[in-house]
Amino acid sequence: MSDTLRRAPALIALYVVLLAYACVTLMPFAWMLITSFKESRDVFRLPPSFVPTLLYGPDPLANYTEVLTQHDFLLYFRNSFFVSTMAALGQVATCALAGYAFARMELPGKNAIFALILATAFVPTEVTIIPEFLLMRQLGWIDSFLPLIVPSFLVGSFGTFMLREYFASLPAEYGEAARIDGAGPWRIFWRIYLPLARPALISIFVIAFINNWDELLRPLLYLNSPELRTVPLGLMRFVGEFEAEWTLLMAGSVASTLPLILIYVLGQKYVLQGFAGGGVKG
Amino acid sequence: MSEIRSTRAPGPRGRVPISDNDHAPARPRSQSRWKTWGPALLFLLPAIVGLLVFRLIPIGWAFALSFTNWRIFNDIEWVGLANYAHILTSPVSREVLGNTLWFTAMYVPGVMVVSVTLAVLLNNSLRSSAFFRGAFFLPYITATVAVTLAWRWIFSTRFGLLNHLLAQVDIDRIAWLADPAWALPAVAIVSVWKDAGFYMILLIAGLQTIDPGVYEAARIDGARAFRRFYAITLPLLSRSLFFVLILALVRSTQTFEITYALTNGGPNRASTTLAFYIYQNAFVHFEMGYASALAYVLCFVIGLITLLNFHLRRRWVHE
Repeated sequence: MSDTLRRAPALIALYVVLLAYACVTLMPFAWMLITSFKESRDVFRLPPSFVPTLLYGPDPLANYTEVLTQHDFLLYFRNSFFVSTMAALGQVATCALAGYAFARMELPGKNAIFALILATAFVPTEVTIIPEFLLMRQLGWIDSFLPLIVPSFLVGSFGTFMLREYFASLPAEYGEAARIDGAGPWRIFWRIYLPLARPALISIFVIAFINNWDELLRPLLYLNSPELRTVPLGLMRFVGEFEAEWTLLMAGSVASTLPLILIYVLGQKYVLQGFAGGGVKG
Repeated sequence: MSEIRSTRAPGPRGRVPISDNDHAPARPRSQSRWKTWGPALLFLLPAIVGLLVFRLIPIGWAFALSFTNWRIFNDIEWVGLANYAHILTSPVSREVLGNTLWFTAMYVPGVMVVSVTLAVLLNNSLRSSAFFRGAFFLPYITATVAVTLAWRWIFSTRFGLLNHLLAQVDIDRIAWLADPAWALPAVAIVSVWKDAGFYMILLIAGLQTIDPGVYEAARIDGARAFRRFYAITLPLLSRSLFFVLILALVRSTQTFEITYALTNGGPNRASTTLAFYIYQNAFVHFEMGYASALAYVLCFVIGLITLLNFHLRRRWVHE
């Protein structure tokens, strides 16, 4: 106890620093939230006011309903959900199969393949995106969701690496026992090892979902039709058209971060573990 | 990610002496081999297709394109090293490379100082640490475009929150996004704000591997907090620090979304860095050949950073 008392000044200093930086990280979110509950004429007032005026009016959610219904953001949300879910599910499947094979199965040259998967993860997107764009044009996939889903579906260096480690850490005896009982490779994978890897699978899904939700470059390149827009693309197009409509824009921004914050809060344990394990995108 | 453990697959040669040949001694060897290789190949098929179609082939294709002047609508013409020569001599690309360097010089020290400080302060058993960790990591996982637009509003010269706050301490209005001198620092501020929490998480993971007994011993010997940080934390954390440094350096060359949503590379070219310039060349001007050459310059820079780091690692990292 006396030790705690003696260190009280240090503890106070610690909290001051931490609280100050928490203000820095949370301030943009707070400002975004306050602005989204203002009337548009309150935005251009000096000095800037911290009062969310709409909350005192008859229709506090006015900006949200306008952005979601009149500016099609509801549709953009559906598109983003579809694309991110498919891309993340695909990535989990591909990474699980590959990670399992790298850890538990025999194939000549598999270590070389694994090394290539890891090494090419460090090649920047800027190098591969141009041929990828040309390929999508050849395939006639421009202006569809396929170019947003398929590359993420099939390529996941970080997930493959993580699952290979995970499967290798599980006891080999389970598989051997099942094999003696006559189970084939698929059954051993599907019924024994895959369920055991659930925490790793969840964290890869969450990270892939967040990355795909956040993706701007590919929607920018591949989507032309307004009805296919994802949320980030919708936000950018909205700024282009209504530059000064900050209240609506901030409402759209708040809405677009909510799913990610929700996922983060629900799966915080998995997300932090996953990112701490490397967190290289792709 | 920092280390790849060798994980040998416990196959038929494992502890349990069972091989496929025991089951089917009459079969030819090659056929029984394919009984184990076949499923493995099927399991790896999606990953191999992805590796080929979205990695290896594009990497080679882009390299070939970088020696052409292809603009999508003209015939492909071989121009040798002309694109690379142009990158080195043109004032525009020099300005862009200079911007990239300036951005790196702001971003890397920024994230290193912030993330190391936060990680050290949060590496304790206080119950509130979990809250702060969550708050500091939040910017990293939230939608980039949305938070960058919030920053764009905060940076607004006349009605922005930041200039209003600065006015309280008698700092004159700064035209953050319109002044060529401030546009790139603004991009760096948002990038550091967004990424620092991510590096912090990596560093906390590294700090947790340090044995608390070492600190206890140092404290008994009378080492003060600063000395403990300098003599214990830094050397024992050097592996994680080194990894974070590489990641931060590589990331600093690749900023795209924040630039696009905050300044669109402007005013003029003041905040155009290499990755953004590649995007503009390839997909705004359709200069596919030139953009590919620029992309390979970026790749070369990243490779150089990594090599240099591994070379210096021996001196810095306390194994």
